[in-house]
Amino acid sequence: MNSFLKNLFITSLKSNQLKSIHTSASALAWSRTDNIPKSFLRHNQKIYPPQSPDEEPRPAFVCHQKTNIKYSPEKLWYIASFVRGMTVDEAIKQLSFVPKKGAIFVKEAILEAQELAVKEHNVEFKSNLWVAESFANKGMVVKGIRRHARGRMGQVRYQFSHYFVRLEEGKPPADYYKRNPQTPQQQLANWLEQMRKRKIINSY
Amino acid sequence: MANSLISKMGALRIVPVIITQPSRTTTTKHYIPKFKKQRAQKYLKVELPDPNEDFGSLSSSKIRQKMKERGILPPRPWMERPFYLSATGGVFEPYVPPEGDGKASFVSTTRAKQAVELLEKKSKSMMAIRKIKSFEEEFDQKEFVLQAQDTYIKAHESLANDDKRALRTYVTEKAYPEFRHNSHLKTIRWKFIESLEPPRVVHARCTDVVSKENIFGQVTVRFHTRQQLAVYDRFGRLLHGSEILAKDVLEYIVFEKHLSNLYGTWRIHDKIIPDWTPPKEPSKLTRIMPEPEPEIVKVESTETTEPVVATTTPELAAKPAAPAVADK
Repeated sequence: MNSFLKNLFITSLKSNQLKSIHTSASALAWSRTDNIPKSFLRHNQKIYPPQSPDEEPRPAFVCHQKTNIKYSPEKLWYIASFVRGMTVDEAIKQLSFVPKKGAIFVKEAILEAQELAVKEHNVEFKSNLWVAESFANKGMVVKGIRRHARGRMGQVRYQFSHYFVRLEEGKPPADYYKRNPQTPQQQLANWLEQMRKRKIINSY
Repeated sequence: MANSLISKMGALRIVPVIITQPSRTTTTKHYIPKFKKQRAQKYLKVELPDPNEDFGSLSSSKIRQKMKERGILPPRPWMERPFYLSATGGVFEPYVPPEGDGKASFVSTTRAKQAVELLEKKSKSMMAIRKIKSFEEEFDQKEFVLQAQDTYIKAHESLANDDKRALRTYVTEKAYPEFRHNSHLKTIRWKFIESLEPPRVVHARCTDVVSKENIFGQVTVRFHTRQQLAVYDRFGRLLHGSEILAKDVLEYIVFEKHLSNLYGTWRIHDKIIPDWTPPKEPSKLTRIMPEPEPEIVKVESTETTEPVVATTTPELAAKPAAPAVADK
């Protein structure tokens, strides 16, 4: 929005007064910034109480969102949950091999968030981040019309979606989804135990 | 290895031909291409808005076209330049603090020279104080200095408490952004412990702005105090200073008052930083060094007379076959 107005001023007015632009209601009608989600980004404004030196330093985090993506939120959900609990580098690597349109948006959002973390939120190493939250929501819906037989008509929903991501400093938990993966040895031991526990009917 | 490969290929040759139903992998395409147009006609064309359009990259004619489409007027030109009249934009004839104030001996040459200069300036300061007294009859240096210290403490406390409204009453409009600079989303713990030397007025000046009667007064006060400062970032991690370490602070604070204004108050206007101040201590926050800028290397090619300009990063240059180097 601002960049647009700046551009306009440079081209049309040659004014050096860029910061005190009067934004009228008509200018707001140009791009609807009033109906995008705001509450998620408010986490970035939260100030935590100071810590004593013996306490473990609180990990930094950054919240970021991409709004009104032309993609179905239902489809975006799969990508959002896929990436959850990965390190940033791993997530970006994996997403570049996901042959879906939504993967591009998610990857972009994560890269933007990573840059923000380093620039504005005192994160020293950009690789020392993991995807702590990642979810998709419903955005704007444009309703279209389609024809049906016998003069009836149907509704077509052109859906937009929002994507939200929170990157946290540090290492991700070992088993984010609590799948409890077992090593082959453990699997074998479990199987053996299960086999030995069997009851053989009509025996002692 | 080779043997096994041949045997595998051989097996492939022998494999009997199985007639299979051709399977369709593209599911988004209709299997009868004939009525494609009619099928498309079922849907009414909707022009979808692009909410993430980058207006910065559009040309001005394109923006004009888009505004015409939507019936939006261009924003009103805002040519007025706002300016504030109840505070000056700087310090006039600023005070030059004597070198090594607070520690150096009186016998050093620069110190002696400065002492002589100070005497000359003292008369000017006296004149200025007389002028201030003509506006403010009960102006007394001893009284004023105490009031100044109180303002000084309150201004810092309101900054630490993030009380913007209170800060405005202790700080002029010029100093306000300088006070608030870099304090956004940070926790500041500031404590005034004691005054090592009683504060004193070292300098005073008056000037008129625009008209003869519109007079501003500026008084520089020397504070030698003991303070504590700790700055934490948004996550409560220490950025600067310490909460257990007290430091001696020597400061020259300029207070300003709009004398012509009946309701003017003495507020902090600026701080004089002498040339001999010790360098600042580095930030506790560490950052990785940014990557060096890509060097512009001119590559002389034998075939063409024009030099080929190639930009190479250090990693690229290290590689034997960099894509930027044009050779056959």
